[in-house]
Amino acid sequence: MPVVQVKLPDIGEGIAEGEIVRWLVKEGDTVKRFQPIVEVLTAKATVEIPSPYTGKIRKLLASEGDTVRVGQPIAEIETDTAGPVKEEKPEEPQKEAGPQPRPQAEATPIETQASQAGIAKVKAPPSVRILAKKLGVDLTKVKGTGPRGVITKDDVIAYAEAQKKEPKPPVQAAKEAVVEEERIPLRGVKKVMAERMVEAKTRIPHAYVVEEVDITELLAVRERLKPLAEEKGVKLTILPFIMKAVVKAIREYPLINSSLDEDKGEIIVKRTVNLGFAVDTPHGLMVPVIKNANTKGLFQLAREVRELARKAREAKLSLDEVRGSTFSISNYGSIGGVLGIPVINPPEAAILGVGRIRKEPRIRDGKIEERSLVYLTLSFDHRILEGGYATRFLVRVKELLENPILLLAGEGELE
Amino acid sequence: MEVLGSRDILNLDRALGLYRVLDEDGNPVAGEPSLPDKLLLDMYTYMIRARILDGWLLKLQRMGRVALHAPNKGQEASAVGATLALKREDWLFPSYRELGALLVRGMTEEEILDRALTTIDDPLKGSDFAIYGHRKYNIVPAPVPVANQIPHAVGAALAAKIMGDKIVTMTFFGDGSTSRGDFHAGLNFAGVFKAPVVFVNQNNQWAISVPLKRQTAAPTIAVKGIAYGVPGIRVDGNDVIAVYTVAREAVERARSGEGPTLIEAVTYRLGPHTTADDPTRYRGEEEVKEWERREPLRRMRRYLISRGLLTEEEDKALWSEWEKRIEETVVKVLEKPPLPPEVILEDVYEEPPWNLKEQMKELRESIRLLKELGIELE
Repeated sequence: MPVVQVKLPDIGEGIAEGEIVRWLVKEGDTVKRFQPIVEVLTAKATVEIPSPYTGKIRKLLASEGDTVRVGQPIAEIETDTAGPVKEEKPEEPQKEAGPQPRPQAEATPIETQASQAGIAKVKAPPSVRILAKKLGVDLTKVKGTGPRGVITKDDVIAYAEAQKKEPKPPVQAAKEAVVEEERIPLRGVKKVMAERMVEAKTRIPHAYVVEEVDITELLAVRERLKPLAEEKGVKLTILPFIMKAVVKAIREYPLINSSLDEDKGEIIVKRTVNLGFAVDTPHGLMVPVIKNANTKGLFQLAREVRELARKAREAKLSLDEVRGSTFSISNYGSIGGVLGIPVINPPEAAILGVGRIRKEPRIRDGKIEERSLVYLTLSFDHRILEGGYATRFLVRVKELLENPILLLAGEGELE
Repeated sequence: MEVLGSRDILNLDRALGLYRVLDEDGNPVAGEPSLPDKLLLDMYTYMIRARILDGWLLKLQRMGRVALHAPNKGQEASAVGATLALKREDWLFPSYRELGALLVRGMTEEEILDRALTTIDDPLKGSDFAIYGHRKYNIVPAPVPVANQIPHAVGAALAAKIMGDKIVTMTFFGDGSTSRGDFHAGLNFAGVFKAPVVFVNQNNQWAISVPLKRQTAAPTIAVKGIAYGVPGIRVDGNDVIAVYTVAREAVERARSGEGPTLIEAVTYRLGPHTTADDPTRYRGEEEVKEWERREPLRRMRRYLISRGLLTEEEDKALWSEWEKRIEETVVKVLEKPPLPPEVILEDVYEEPPWNLKEQMKELRESIRLLKELGIELE
């Protein structure tokens, strides 16, 4: 004989739950369909709930005085007929909540069974589910702000925006998607990026400061050093110079190279500088790390940049080579952005963004000259760093880059 | 100073008195009413059907199958008696507490349940702006806000008059509705233009939790008609024969071009205002007990038995027959598939504008997606 569950019905007008006042039947009783079985007190009134089935009460699942939610099982009935009971089969408690095969569902790559199970469980109206599908948002990860935790369109949009590094207007994205769309699973490197960026942007209060740096002289120095570098098998780009400037400036401004222990409420200042630098690869954004950058000379930095960037593009970085950075640099200027606002790579305290090198007229000693200029952006965690401190650090980086002699003076700074 | 129109409408006795054919125990107060036996038995049968159906709708609401129900218990005589005075071609503008009126017009229990459960056969296709209605039976869907139907009935009556149709409209509303502007506008307009309309006020003493004494300072509701030039007749709303008698008079008056009538049917709502109401919070048990003694079915049954039209056995058989038939109908309707969600966008425009078409497309896509995911639509 099939066992069916009686659930607290939706008794209308915004009723979400009710208190069991009195059972009108007991376990073992035979009940007829439509026979009142329980009195329930709702926010509006005390009502008698009729049984939806004919059969024998096997178990009462709620006691008098219990508060039960609409849809919650309150009793089990053994019925003699299959009758109108199709969807009300009791859930088997030992069965895992995980994916269940659904016969007619065609599994497209994005429609994994896990996400199906997720969609079935979250509270969201169909329009929101469709939007989430279009934006590739996993609804199980979205917190609903609607009534009783229902996920709204705004929740999905906010979540999708937080996931994207460069947010697109979501409405437009959804509209375009109606016409034609391609589904790209968020996985691997991209997924890591998405998660870390959400973490960074939701947890870290970002502040920004920008400087324009005149690197005309630095470029001249680089030209002069090139033959020497080539002799040593080193291709000298501008990035190692910037790294050099950063580690030198960190000596004076150690808090730049720190992180925040939120649980303990302490700032951890790192003694060594492990420099992460962003590399744009076909697989996504990778941030390899030059360990102990504060102890390395310009040529060594250049060598490691080149080697790690190659490994990144070939997806051959070891886990150790992408871990443990204490400060990061994003050199989007090598692609073309004049000025960027990078997102901090958690748990670091700051990140330096390097813009494109522009040639522009500047007045020097009363004469117009062509100068090579670059914008540096420092994004910093305003919980750790004051604006003044961060700005002074950036000004110091600027000074070092504008006076390469300061940058390379000292033993071992070159090699 | 000249007084406009007839002084007949100033008949205060009828507006302040209480017309009765039967007393509270079913004894004729002024001789046997001269109505056909069949009509008397029909009145009773309709009331039985309304009572049983009302109980089912309450039950189905408690099972989560009907969103909301406004119980009728105790008011069957007003709805049945008044509507029986109409002809087939007349129009009904009900409120939400007149199951008996719907049945008298010819709407079946199945059709009413289809509506209440919004099955695939729902005559109003799930519309949330109206309670019951059916075009086939000249029943205009009842609006949810109270008193809205009063001007509708007046307008339709006036239109019929202009067109030369010999039809009458009848509208039902409660005591609470008489405090609404629609009541004033409707009665005034109907009075001025002699619209062929019958206003049936079901004065059931309570507008949700507001008692009649807080509703009006007038001694009766019927007396309000006089100020609009509309005769007011106060009748015992639990006396189905009395209600029928005054309604027939009002319908004839309307049809003959003499204009509207306001009938105040004094009755009592024995149940809650709706399934979301708990009347024990605002009224006493004794009051309810008192009115239970006066309820219309008991009274009519006693009269029919005393007149020899019904035996105790026949009465029991009549009840069990309708209980069985209606339960069968309930079971049948519960098995029907629900209304497809698409109808939500139908019947507003003959040719839907682009945005509705887009919504329709999105809705279909949602439904398809849910089906694909194996999620049941509820």
